[in-house]
Amino acid sequence: MTEFVLALALGTLFAVGTFLVLRRDVVRVVWGVVIISQSANVYLVTVGFGATGAGTAPVLGHGGGAASTVDPLVQALVLTAIVIGFGTTAFALVLTYRVYEEQGTIDMRGLSFLDDDAPPRVGDGETAREVSDD
Amino acid sequence: MTELALQASLAGTLAAQAPVIPLLVALSTAILALGTRVYPRAQQGVSLLGAGAYGVAVLFLAVRVTAEGRLVYQVSDWAAPFGITLVADALSVLMLGLAAVVSLAALVYSLEFVDQRDQRLAYHPLYHLMVVGVTGAFLTGDIFNLFVWFEVMLMSSYVLVVFYSGPAQTRAALLYTVLNLLGSAVMLLAIGGLYATIGTLNMADMARRLADPAAFGIDPAPVLGLSAVLLTVFALKAGIVPFQFWVPAAYRAAPAPVTAMLAGVVKKVGIYAIVRLYFMVFAAATVPVSFPGIGGQGFLAFFGPVLFVMAAASIFLGGFGAVWQDDMDGLLAYSSIGQIGFVVLPLAVAATVPDLRALGVAAALVYAVNHGLAKSLLFLVSGAVRTATGTCELPKLGGLSEHDRVLSAAFFVGGLALVGIPPLTGFFGKFLVFDVAGRAGSTLGLAVALGGAILTIAYVTRAWNQAFWGRPTDYVIGASRNGVLVGVTVVLAVSVVALGVGFDPLVGAANAAAEAALDVDAYVEAVDPDRFVPSDTGSGGHGGGGE
Repeated sequence: MTEFVLALALGTLFAVGTFLVLRRDVVRVVWGVVIISQSANVYLVTVGFGATGAGTAPVLGHGGGAASTVDPLVQALVLTAIVIGFGTTAFALVLTYRVYEEQGTIDMRGLSFLDDDAPPRVGDGETAREVSDD
Repeated sequence: MTELALQASLAGTLAAQAPVIPLLVALSTAILALGTRVYPRAQQGVSLLGAGAYGVAVLFLAVRVTAEGRLVYQVSDWAAPFGITLVADALSVLMLGLAAVVSLAALVYSLEFVDQRDQRLAYHPLYHLMVVGVTGAFLTGDIFNLFVWFEVMLMSSYVLVVFYSGPAQTRAALLYTVLNLLGSAVMLLAIGGLYATIGTLNMADMARRLADPAAFGIDPAPVLGLSAVLLTVFALKAGIVPFQFWVPAAYRAAPAPVTAMLAGVVKKVGIYAIVRLYFMVFAAATVPVSFPGIGGQGFLAFFGPVLFVMAAASIFLGGFGAVWQDDMDGLLAYSSIGQIGFVVLPLAVAATVPDLRALGVAAALVYAVNHGLAKSLLFLVSGAVRTATGTCELPKLGGLSEHDRVLSAAFFVGGLALVGIPPLTGFFGKFLVFDVAGRAGSTLGLAVALGGAILTIAYVTRAWNQAFWGRPTDYVIGASRNGVLVGVTVVLAVSVVALGVGFDPLVGAANAAAEAALDVDAYVEAVDPDRFVPSDTGSGGHGGGGE
């Protein structure tokens, strides 16, 4: 039963994430990426249940109690992944703000391509300002 | 006497720590560069010294590896399958050598190329953190750590791609970041799945268990699927078709020395991971594979055709894309996609034909080193041209060969190395690719390589004719010359020629690397001697890899 619920939840999360990644709005794309990476983390936690599909947190078996514990290694992996995800999410959000600041739009299709004649340092003057209304 | 003993023990300790030294050097340089950023001159000095020290550390490691074979470093002395392991063998050392040369050249170049104020902000720490990530990825013996090192490398590269922070740069960086974040999520999924099926994260332990799946209760079929998922991530990092679409925008957006690092070194991390994991770790497993015309037992029999299709698509898409480009950076970026196809092509042959495995991997490595040097040289030339003339668009350039003979000569050498003219490294790279395809009797492979070679000649000739020959345009006439930038490109060009003329060391290193990459037994024994069982029991004909 637990497995079924988890599988359903994971599937839904991945579906929502994918849906958001395919939007035109940059903020939604970033949210989609965040949801997908978090679903990957949840998936990683479920790996710890192993074949038995049951188990408690290792700390509960500390006094010699519970025999069946989940794999603690995956939780360590997830912690690492969460920390990395936190940093990259922050960066992606800053980048989104920067896109809005420079391009005046967060519509993916309105963003300007690299126009080569400009020197490496491109000024803030003329940028695509096609703000679409959806 | 005691002093001598002390010295000997110190040398012994240093030798035992050899695999971790390049990592520590790069990390300390990054931290010191961050600490000295109020003193720009000191920061530049630290950065330069650090890049030099990194080269020395890699050289030291290379000497140790040549003398002793595999060096294994168990972090904090936790034994292999449980702790984190760093492994340095001939393959890692070859890739580290490439990284050391390119990163030093690109750093010297960027001291002059990148605006002084921009350098102070974050350039040097980020640059060295990228080197840390690359080094870690080449040295780690643990698949989850590979993910972590990838992230270290990518996080700094995100910022370096958006470095100039113009509208177009943010757009390119956004695409690059989002794609790589998705790639990281997929990588995490694949690694989690592999851990769930195989029950370990240590590469040596994985290879050991996959060689005898029944004994460990492993079902090879899901492992094959998960490794296929993982391949998409490495293909994304290496910019292999169909995961190449971020390459042109990101390469054009980043500063020239960063692009040289991205194309020369970071791309090769994906190739390294493919060689290490698919030719060593997963090659141990067996699963029946049947394609129309191709059948086999190993995972590699499955990945062979897949890699071949990806290589052929990369060669043609990159080649045609480059021929159509009207600016030098774009041309080089597409060419980079095409050239990576030439690296993957011998790998595909090596995967399909077991007899040619060592030769194919060696050919791929020679080509990877050649491309790493030649392409970073060309990107640096392009940056120097842009600094001098203010543009990189081919129609606006012309007659550069009259204006700056030295720079033009450097471009010429890089271009010829891509085309593959003897005695440059490119010739041997291309020759080995053709040789491998020919020995495999693959007409299709030869046709693809030939088509790619013709396309390479076409776009290199076009770039040369338009930018360097003809009547000098106004842009070129008004151009100024920067000695340092030109000097770095000349040094790289000389190294391309020198490695080609004295080709023996490179081919020796590549052969040793291929042997090291395919020798699963020796790897497992070095990493985890307690659990090592000689392979004649479980792994059948696949354990040795070399056959």
